[in-house]
Amino acid sequence: MEYKEFKEAVIRAAKERQIAEYELYYEESEATSVEIYREEVKGYGTEDNMGVGFRCIVDGRAGYASTENLTEEEAKSLIDRAFENALSIESEEKSFLHEKGDTYAVLQDTEETAPAGTTLIDLALEVQKEMYQADKRVCDGTQVQVAHSSERYALYNSNGLDLEDRAAYEVCFGMALVADGEEMYDGSKFKLGYLKDFDSKVVAAEAVEDAVSTIGAGSVASGKYTVVFSNKAMATLLQTYSPIFSAERAQKGMSLLAGKEGEKIAADIVTIVDDPMYKDSVVRRTFDGEGVATYAKNVVERGVLTTLLHNLKTAANAGVKTTGNASRASYASVVGVSPFTFYIQPGEEPDLLPSAGEGIYVTEVTGLHAGANPVSGDFSLSSKGFLIADGKKGAPVKNFTVSGNFFALLKDIEKIGADLEFIRGKCGSPSVLVRDLAVAGE
Amino acid sequence: MLSREVLKEALGRALATGADYAEVFAEHTRNKNINIISGKTDKIGDAVISGVGIRIFKGTRCVSGSASSLSPEAVLSCASRVADALTGSAQIQNIVLRERLFGDIHPIRIVPADVANADKIDYLRQACEAAKDYSDEITQVDGDFIEVDHRILIATSEGLLAQDRQIRSRVTLSSVASKNGENQTGSVTPGARKGLELFEDFDPVELGREASAQAVTMLHAGYIKAGTVPVAIENGFGGVIFHEACGHSLEASCVALGQSQFAGKLGERIANEKVTAIDDGTIPNSWGSINIDDEGTPARRNVLIENGILKTYMIDKLNGRRMGMASTGNCRRQSYQFEPTSRMTNTYIAAGEDRDEDIIASIEYGLYAKSMGGGSVNPITGQFNFAVREGYLIKNGKICEPVRGASLIGKGSDVIMNIDMVGRNVARAQGMCGASSGSIPTDVGQPLIRVSSITVGGR
Repeated sequence: MEYKEFKEAVIRAAKERQIAEYELYYEESEATSVEIYREEVKGYGTEDNMGVGFRCIVDGRAGYASTENLTEEEAKSLIDRAFENALSIESEEKSFLHEKGDTYAVLQDTEETAPAGTTLIDLALEVQKEMYQADKRVCDGTQVQVAHSSERYALYNSNGLDLEDRAAYEVCFGMALVADGEEMYDGSKFKLGYLKDFDSKVVAAEAVEDAVSTIGAGSVASGKYTVVFSNKAMATLLQTYSPIFSAERAQKGMSLLAGKEGEKIAADIVTIVDDPMYKDSVVRRTFDGEGVATYAKNVVERGVLTTLLHNLKTAANAGVKTTGNASRASYASVVGVSPFTFYIQPGEEPDLLPSAGEGIYVTEVTGLHAGANPVSGDFSLSSKGFLIADGKKGAPVKNFTVSGNFFALLKDIEKIGADLEFIRGKCGSPSVLVRDLAVAGE
Repeated sequence: MLSREVLKEALGRALATGADYAEVFAEHTRNKNINIISGKTDKIGDAVISGVGIRIFKGTRCVSGSASSLSPEAVLSCASRVADALTGSAQIQNIVLRERLFGDIHPIRIVPADVANADKIDYLRQACEAAKDYSDEITQVDGDFIEVDHRILIATSEGLLAQDRQIRSRVTLSSVASKNGENQTGSVTPGARKGLELFEDFDPVELGREASAQAVTMLHAGYIKAGTVPVAIENGFGGVIFHEACGHSLEASCVALGQSQFAGKLGERIANEKVTAIDDGTIPNSWGSINIDDEGTPARRNVLIENGILKTYMIDKLNGRRMGMASTGNCRRQSYQFEPTSRMTNTYIAAGEDRDEDIIASIEYGLYAKSMGGGSVNPITGQFNFAVREGYLIKNGKICEPVRGASLIGKGSDVIMNIDMVGRNVARAQGMCGASSGSIPTDVGQPLIRVSSITVGGR
């Protein structure tokens, strides 16, 4: 059964069971991906996936259930499961559905047809060939993935809201492996956008350069250093700590930003934006996980926390208007709060290394799911990068950690670069300079 | 889930363009997640996952497809779509499917779906209340009960038809301790391939107190100084060091492609001779256990490293073709939407002969890592990290004051040589492991071990 029919089946079943307040959230994705190893197609895959999340409100309590099995019987079972779950909710915070009446942005039609599988394969083979040609140390194990994805998000509720967003984009990922004596080094380039904008030579060259530049990386002595986080490293940190801006977590005592609206929480030069319709984003969303019209906002403006991110319930709890940040990680997820396209606004400094003088340029931080704690703000992260000597990028370094606390780091940002870059399209930052961070190495 | 007729037709269609192997993986799963926060049930997630993943091989090339439906039309259309990626004529015809019953070595007593929410909530509430009551400094307790009922069916062009039903339960508790505008957290996360009988294994009050004790201890702790020191890593989740430093690099998914620090090293000494490491999917009712893997191969106990010598990798059928080696029963996937590949099950360092007290006494200045968080690794370079959630300084052979979480980092092939003392009491703990084929349940484990030198990400 198609979603349209299933939706009708759910509406009928809800009527029969006298469920008056409910919402359906639907997601669908069609994807094609290719993977190249040596100079051959190693893998080719197509996905046709979808699912429906149902939420009903019973006396202010929200009950959820989801399914991928779109049949008449499942429509009934979906409602029964959600109803039973609603009855088990004890929280006194009232849940409610969104009313009609918002004005929604209009997405430009992305009537671009999905590229043929052979087109994806040709690009991937081309990137692979370019990587082998870029440097004679590039070895087997080097890989390319190219994928296309078309997505659809729909929300319907018993107040008559009936919304849909669509997105389509391509991904090109080059992973270069370089052998130098006994040691192996990897580098990569991830491009998210549209096929027509991908230049195979550039992707290949950047992936290989990323690997080659780390050859011979040494360690650093433990101590306090001036650190410049590269745009991608800082975007990774911002993404990991984005839950601190959630009003839901703040109201539950899980964020140290609770009650800090209007206060300085970061250096004057820091402005943090959430823009669901960001111009260069491949997935733009006109409505949030509850059907509220989305809009752009400065969450932090010149160091001051202007607002936390809200959904309908957290906003009602706080006596404010929702910021349209209700999120559903997938159709199977309960409603939470999260930013859409979230970034630190770039400054004007073309290069932060001269200001750093001596220090470490950190280009990658890893292990964030364990080494960074959004509740305490503490982080201790495996890192790699380059020494900064005399204001210039020096020798590559690896096998060291950078440790600190994110809340303190926001206040300690001394300079912000102009080089805004996004990781996986969702979270972005320019490079930033911070002094006196603890580094563990040799 | 799917009739033999549909399975045979799907395999036939998938093979129509010259593949030498075809596989249908069908799944019907129900997941439930009950959350208590601020002492009240707050959210309940309740998901049905149902669909099919089809793969065909031609040599070492793999074509895959997935569809969110188990209707015969959707399954057959997925099979045709997969076959469309090859151009040739059928090499294999007339498959005879023979069902193989591998038996269930993980019996379930209380199927979670048969029990009302209320019973699960009662247990969780007791744990959360005990956690909250532990100290005035505990400001929040976040508790979840997670149940998974994962039914899978695998049919292949080799004639195999196999099914399994994997039921798992897990409790996760996270306590927040606060003072003077500072927060610290503590957590416990026990789970098993069991139904609600899991509740009999753990007293909820003890679980709650354990999570909160950790949070309060850390609230009053300082930071360890950044540097390189010897470390004693406790049993249970301490085994995450092997999982990250070595385990991932022994998965065929990277070994077959030359993307592993341990590729080409079978039979060679890769670890300290005190290290014997095992991946065992057959441990009854263990969190990472399986009856069959997601290609239908029965689970096995594989000795990966014996007294420091590399004995085998963890291998799936596809990567096995590239390596010229048979499957070790390690092929796993989160769901039909993920392409399966070689993964760990229950992986642990086997018991050694050192006494715990000797291990601690041997360290003049270092870290005792009592409780660990997760970690990650780049299998190519072997560069790994994992987080210490609760640590203590060791001075002059004695465990002293607590120190806050710091990451331990290093290069797998170096660190595995530096495990120079291995204790006697193995314990395992539960985690979710994320990689290309999704997030899957795995156990890590070890006895108390000493690493002679490792970088500690302090301040």
